[in-house]
Amino acid sequence: MSNPQTVPTRKLMVQLANRFRFRYLMNLAIWTSMWALPIIPGLLTRRFFDSLEAGTAGANVATIIVIFLAYGVARLAMMLMGMWNDAHMGFRLESLLRRNMIERLYALPGAQSVEHSPGESISRFREDIEHVEEAHGWTADTAGAIVFSAVAVVVLSSIDLRMTLIVFTPLVIVIVIAERFGTRIKRYRLAARKATGAVTGAIGELFASAQSVKVAGAEASMVAHIDGLSEHRRVLMVKDRALGAALESVFWNVLYIGTAIILILSAGSMTSGDLSLGEFALFIYFLDYVTDAVYFIGLFITRMKQAGVSFDRMIGFMRGSHWSELVQDRDLALRGSHPLPEISTARTAPALETLVVSGLGYHYPGTSHGVTNVDLTVHRGDFVVITGKIGSGKTTLLRAILGLVDATEGEVRWNGMLVRDRAAFFTPPVSAYTPQVPHLFSMSLRDNLLLGLQLGDGDLARAAYAAALEDDILEMPNRLDTPVGPRGMRLSGGQVQRAAAARMFLREPDLLIFDDLSSALDIRTELTLWDRLRSGNTETTSLVVSHRKPALKMATTIVLLDEGSISAVGTVDELLKSSRLFRDLWHGTTST
Amino acid sequence: MIPIRSYVSLLSRYLRRVKARMTVLAGFALGGIALQLLLPQLIGRFIDDAIGGAATDQLIPLALWFLVVALARQALAIATTWLAEDVGWRSTNELRSDLTRHVLDLDMDFHKEHTPGELIERVDGDVTALSEFFSAFVVKVVGNGLLVTGILILITFEHALVGLILSVFTLATLALMMAVQTVAIPWWKTQRASSAELMGFLGEQLSGTEDIRANGGVGFMVHTFTDILRRWLPRRVRSRLGFAMLWGTGIVHFVVGATLVMWLGTRYLGPGGLTLGGVYLIFHYTEMTRNPMDEIRSQMEVFQKAGAGIDRVTELMERRSNLDTSGTTAIPSGALSVVFDHMSFAYADDETSTVLHDIDISIAPGRVVGVLGRSGSGKSTMAKVLTRLYDPTQGRVLLGGVDPREASLHDLRRRVGMVTQDVQLFRTTVRNNLTFFDAAINDERLMSVLADLGLSNWLDSLPNGLDTMLESGAGGLSAGQAQLLAFTRIFLKNPGLVILDEASSRLDPATEAMIESAVAAVIMDRTAFVIAHHLGTVARADDIMIIENGTVIEFGERTTLQADPTSRFSRLLASGMEEVLA
Repeated sequence: MSNPQTVPTRKLMVQLANRFRFRYLMNLAIWTSMWALPIIPGLLTRRFFDSLEAGTAGANVATIIVIFLAYGVARLAMMLMGMWNDAHMGFRLESLLRRNMIERLYALPGAQSVEHSPGESISRFREDIEHVEEAHGWTADTAGAIVFSAVAVVVLSSIDLRMTLIVFTPLVIVIVIAERFGTRIKRYRLAARKATGAVTGAIGELFASAQSVKVAGAEASMVAHIDGLSEHRRVLMVKDRALGAALESVFWNVLYIGTAIILILSAGSMTSGDLSLGEFALFIYFLDYVTDAVYFIGLFITRMKQAGVSFDRMIGFMRGSHWSELVQDRDLALRGSHPLPEISTARTAPALETLVVSGLGYHYPGTSHGVTNVDLTVHRGDFVVITGKIGSGKTTLLRAILGLVDATEGEVRWNGMLVRDRAAFFTPPVSAYTPQVPHLFSMSLRDNLLLGLQLGDGDLARAAYAAALEDDILEMPNRLDTPVGPRGMRLSGGQVQRAAAARMFLREPDLLIFDDLSSALDIRTELTLWDRLRSGNTETTSLVVSHRKPALKMATTIVLLDEGSISAVGTVDELLKSSRLFRDLWHGTTST
Repeated sequence: MIPIRSYVSLLSRYLRRVKARMTVLAGFALGGIALQLLLPQLIGRFIDDAIGGAATDQLIPLALWFLVVALARQALAIATTWLAEDVGWRSTNELRSDLTRHVLDLDMDFHKEHTPGELIERVDGDVTALSEFFSAFVVKVVGNGLLVTGILILITFEHALVGLILSVFTLATLALMMAVQTVAIPWWKTQRASSAELMGFLGEQLSGTEDIRANGGVGFMVHTFTDILRRWLPRRVRSRLGFAMLWGTGIVHFVVGATLVMWLGTRYLGPGGLTLGGVYLIFHYTEMTRNPMDEIRSQMEVFQKAGAGIDRVTELMERRSNLDTSGTTAIPSGALSVVFDHMSFAYADDETSTVLHDIDISIAPGRVVGVLGRSGSGKSTMAKVLTRLYDPTQGRVLLGGVDPREASLHDLRRRVGMVTQDVQLFRTTVRNNLTFFDAAINDERLMSVLADLGLSNWLDSLPNGLDTMLESGAGGLSAGQAQLLAFTRIFLKNPGLVILDEASSRLDPATEAMIESAVAAVIMDRTAFVIAHHLGTVARADDIMIIENGTVIEFGERTTLQADPTSRFSRLLASGMEEVLA
């Protein structure tokens, strides 16, 4: 559901250049010169061959060689400087885009932030940004290529206008046509890439199902299937590469055809002395460079188009943002001191008395799944459990209250005050939340718990104890400083859940919100956790999704959901008497 | 440094099959090089003739020849690329096929250690690199190497001393390029590591935004993000300077080469030495060596990587399965008896803790055994031993009187069928999912099997019948429907022993009814182990087996156990399974 706004590639590029004005101007100056400089050796080559022909080389050659070497040194120095500046500029440009995208990612409602598979989203942070950076860098080169071509054509025209026109006109036409064909090759490339995807996908599936395939004794037919896909890929791959080679050869052919034309046209004039050997050499030398330049300009146009597509994808990723947000200026803090940001623990709202949800409704787009017209009230000190069958809308209700999905119906009031931006409001110290599958990050357990809070070991130990995690920490090789691995994979499922609970407790929020915290815990650990939560601080208020008995028994209020609506509200004893659905859930007889 | 020998020894079997193509390829490549060398000769000749006062109609044919040779050379270049790619892919496709089969045949211990993603990389990624190695090696390194050599030989023909000096110069430049590259490669590696670090970080962030925001961690994460960038920046700049240095060697080559030719040209011009056309020719040739040398240089890095890939492929090929698959004894037809003879089992990676202890039970052919136990009690390990995904550590198992270790594996897998809780589906049609892509199973047979299982209605409910596409994982089908599909899979091979690990999730009534009837059809006239999660299922079992911590704590006829109020089974029935087994 990205809003269709036209993305102005050129404006974005100009704004990016503006963000790094000084470095960009330096780039422009350096790369224009880099393209224009080869005119010097061209002219020197001409002078050399002319004096060689005239028999005066002995006197001149020393001067020519000295100038030539000086040219080499100047070009080398300029190139190194240009690359250095370009590296800094390119990196900053990429960093700015990445930073703006990630800021937007954090600001989006959670459920909607990632529309694509993680791999797809990552490619926006990698390939798309690289495309833009490259195209942007090439603007300076293209300016140089244009300047160089213009000067070369003027110099050559002054030698022989007719030959210049005859050589360069077909050159430009052929290269433009070849560029056009470039889009066709993209189609072949896409097909080849798709065929590769089919092969790797099938191999991945095969090994993911190794056990099933073995048990079925179906090894031979599965491998034969993959062989078929590989064969298909070979055909497409060979076609793609051969076409690429053919296209490149068009470019070289232009060079050779041009040279042949020069030879034919100069046949008469060289014999008669109208065209000197030096002038002939200069023609061939410039022909090479100008072909390069024209080819480059053509590539640049393609790159700009690609960058436009990339901009599109990046802005699509920042759903609902205006394009200018992608390039907005920020302090990237790449240099100088970089202290950890102070996290404010100041109250952003008065202490919780009541949380009132009324008429809340949300449905997943295009479906009837969701929650409808939910009213519920949480008082300070309550332990409210939302329960119901699988798919009854428990998680959706929590997310709707927290603003993690965009609930369009109903409202939420905090002590009677209407909460407008719920996603921004329900953060510490007002509340903290642990989703059904909590996420940890590839850093130490300590950093995972603190997430930037500046608290000491004492606070950490208290939170870990409250989350029944203290024994686990003692068994870890580096205690709190143990790295938890990518996505917390080095911890067990239960440890991840309790670490996420400790992460919440550290923030001492008014309202604790758990979604099915205990799903990976055994009964004993779960009881310990609830016990400590209740005995530690009677002031805490909890809003919990659970279907397990220990949590239900502790509840001050149970909200029973059925197909997205509230079916009953009460305590265990009340609901056991009044609700058949609850009795079924409680006795676990719903499956028969 | 080029791992050409290990490459050939790995691929020799496969390259032999494309010998004819290889010969043609060599011809094309050599022809292309010869024509490329001829082109500047024509220009040199042209200049000498023109300055010598030749008539225009003598020069024009020379110019036209130049054009013809140039076009022919391009045609050969395209043909060379095409053939090299073709040979590379053909030979590696066969290697890929053998490697896939080999890895698939490795034991489950291997598959437990290696993720599918890693295996994709090793079976497809590494082998694809080999194919690219082939085309790159033929076209780029051998071709360009010969080209540079040819150029230097032809310059030597023009003037021996100049040829010698330029040869030394060329070698020196190549050495300089290699030296610079050696310095730059580690820089490129650290820059890639930084890039990977950031992408890894972003990948985690994408899935964890709710956790971060709802716990007030946004500022901290932006700080971490910036930290990664701050580490990356100097590495990035250094890696770009590595490229700049390589570019620099190109500039040095051009400038020094050109001035060298100017100096030598001036010095040796004249009678008995060089002609004007000759000087131009040498000038042109010297410039022509730059691109091929750059190609050779850049391929060196590719080859180093290919070397690592070759090692990995060889290592994988040499890996042997823990299961000896040389047995040939046939397994009898019909329902199979099952005997556990003091059988114990421990996984290879943790031999100290046995998963199954001293199981000693005999089951007559045709019995239906209901297996109960908490998760982790060893139920599914028992199933894996029966299907010979693993061999017992001690004691033995007999199926129809035959030890699976002595049976032909193909026969065993045909005679034992298993349906696991999570059915693996492939992203293809229902038909292929049923037949595992075996085209020999025709639609009539599929239809009749589905009818026997009472699933004709289910098939009719699919939008495109057997041609309905499934998504990978569980996508598109409910757990119950996936199990129906798995029942059909094993029914197709008519086994004598079936092992059913029932779906524990709640099913809709329609699917549940279909499963009931399919289970009844599948276990009829067969020996069956039913790992049960619902009391309803064990109601049809002849025997009940209860496993706790790898030990069979109760085994007997269902009716007997049910009647005995002190049995575990009857207590289970009384208390309701979910509480006890969950």
